[in-house]
Amino acid sequence: MGHSGVARESAPEVRITDAEFERFRDYFYRKTGIRFEDSKRYFVDKRLIQRMHQTGHESFREYFAFMRFQASGKEFQELVNLMTVNETYFFREEYQLKCMVNALLGEVLHHQRPGETVRIWSVPCSTGEEPYSIALYLLEFWDRIDEVDVEIVASDIDTQALEKARAGVFSRRSVNHLPRWILEKYFEPLAGGYHRLCEDLRTCVDFRRINLCDPKDTRGMRDFDIIFCRNLLIYFDEASQRQAAETLYDALKPGGFVLLGHSESMSRITSLFKVRRFEDAIVYQRSI
Amino acid sequence: MRRALIVDDAVTVRMYHRQILEGAGFEVDEAENGVEALEKALVVPYDLLLVDVNMPKMDGYTFLKEVRSTPQLRAIPAVMISTEAERRDREQAYRVGANLYLVKPVRPETLAWRATLMTARGGSR
Amino acid sequence: MGLVKRAKEDQAAPSKPHIRKYGRDLQGLLAQLHDDQVKARRWAARDLAAHPEAVSALCERLRVEPDPTVREALFGSLLAIGTEAVVEGLIPLLRGEDAGLRNGAVEVLRQLPDAVGHRIAALLADPDPDVRIFAVDILRDLAHPQAPGWLLAVVESDEHVNVVTTAIDRLAEVGTPDMAPAIQAVKDRFPNEPFVGFAVDTALKRVLGDG
Repeated sequence: MGHSGVARESAPEVRITDAEFERFRDYFYRKTGIRFEDSKRYFVDKRLIQRMHQTGHESFREYFAFMRFQASGKEFQELVNLMTVNETYFFREEYQLKCMVNALLGEVLHHQRPGETVRIWSVPCSTGEEPYSIALYLLEFWDRIDEVDVEIVASDIDTQALEKARAGVFSRRSVNHLPRWILEKYFEPLAGGYHRLCEDLRTCVDFRRINLCDPKDTRGMRDFDIIFCRNLLIYFDEASQRQAAETLYDALKPGGFVLLGHSESMSRITSLFKVRRFEDAIVYQRSI
Repeated sequence: MRRALIVDDAVTVRMYHRQILEGAGFEVDEAENGVEALEKALVVPYDLLLVDVNMPKMDGYTFLKEVRSTPQLRAIPAVMISTEAERRDREQAYRVGANLYLVKPVRPETLAWRATLMTARGGSR
Repeated sequence: MGLVKRAKEDQAAPSKPHIRKYGRDLQGLLAQLHDDQVKARRWAARDLAAHPEAVSALCERLRVEPDPTVREALFGSLLAIGTEAVVEGLIPLLRGEDAGLRNGAVEVLRQLPDAVGHRIAALLADPDPDVRIFAVDILRDLAHPQAPGWLLAVVESDEHVNVVTTAIDRLAEVGTPDMAPAIQAVKDRFPNEPFVGFAVDTALKRVLGDG
């Protein structure tokens, strides 16, 4: 251990070899289903080296063994956080909203009794961008919204996020992807580039504090037709993923759908759901 | 170009079969288990499926059953490649819709010509 | 019509469907595990996670349960219970004819390092090569300090080509440079298998980290 006591001004030059990159890439793919192409090499190396420094490992080999055998799996989750982008804004992953109005709702109505309410759950809803996007999409892009009742329940574990969601005030960044006419129709401009969603919409979403991994919290969550559960399961450990998948399954009506984030897949979690391919998206379905 | 999907949870096996199939002129994708394979096969029109038996989340038999009951996928030729050499395994594979059953480890020339033969019907695309 | 909100008093309403003909105690749940309805069986399987004494009943049910969603719940509850009795109940499934059960058992066993650890040696010495492959599969993700050592022992001494190459595949992920000679030596034991050469070369490259 000749380096002890020697203070370094800057970290030594660390390089990830091709074989090390491939070893990491295959492991990450096996665990998450996300596969990095060679073009992502720089992005991946940079983050790996960052975590090596932060955890005090000087070689990839040491770091990989540390991460791989850590019983808590925390370091692996750190890497997942770093390697994926998790931000929320209006109309994020819009192809899934399209899929909802173009295909999923049609199937839902086909199987339900006349006059029955369509129920949608957005989890985790964070500061509200997702459930409000669902509401806006239904109002503007679904021609049957005038004949059918739709109930939107939105939940998060974070009460501060829920407060913000209920207040409905959003930064410019948040509303950046909305068509201008929607922004003008439903939002009121405030100082500093902020926008407030109109009250009618704010009150039509039912916000609740729910921990998806707590059976006491989820016991009442039943009979949903569509669940948006995007960019959550990928941040769970394996046992929690399994449990959450069971909870989502039981929260759906037979024939109901789950949508995951674009980099997520049920393939690393469960085979409970049927894989369905629609024009706009891959969706998971509880069998009828 | 003909397209094949390799479904196996062992990375060295996927790489080995990829090398053989690419050598035989296939374009190759990989999946780690049956669920991921369904996700891929519903999007990309494959000409051949190479399917392992024991995999996490969804095993090869269940995967093939799903394939054979999905109209869009029903007709894709499938090779099941297993470590299990007993007759009951072979019979089970054919029962769920495998077109060919091979026991690991496969000889490169066997896989190459079988794969070529199984996808030759429509000529090269 | 349009966007609606459920009245507050209805919110708590639809909780878990109660199957009235069974009691909510252990005896009731065990009876419900054999109900004709999938939904009833699935709920019984999930609720039995709170009853460690139900392990043998859950394992018995796995052998005959036709519905995959009930099976998932059975495996989930066994994982949640996670005792040595679970390990003892699942190991026999590795010899069964149902691939779904075999792989489901592997997935649960590899998440129970403490309970499964002392059974590994026996599984790796099983006369059936397929059972030895399942043991190697369990080791793949077992958070047990001895896991790489067990894999190395398989590479050094197992006689069956598929058991050895499966272990080499796992070592490509977790192996260390000191294991390189043992991996290299496998080539001489199976000189006529092209796949062995390929797997050894791939693993060596990964284990040594060069290239």
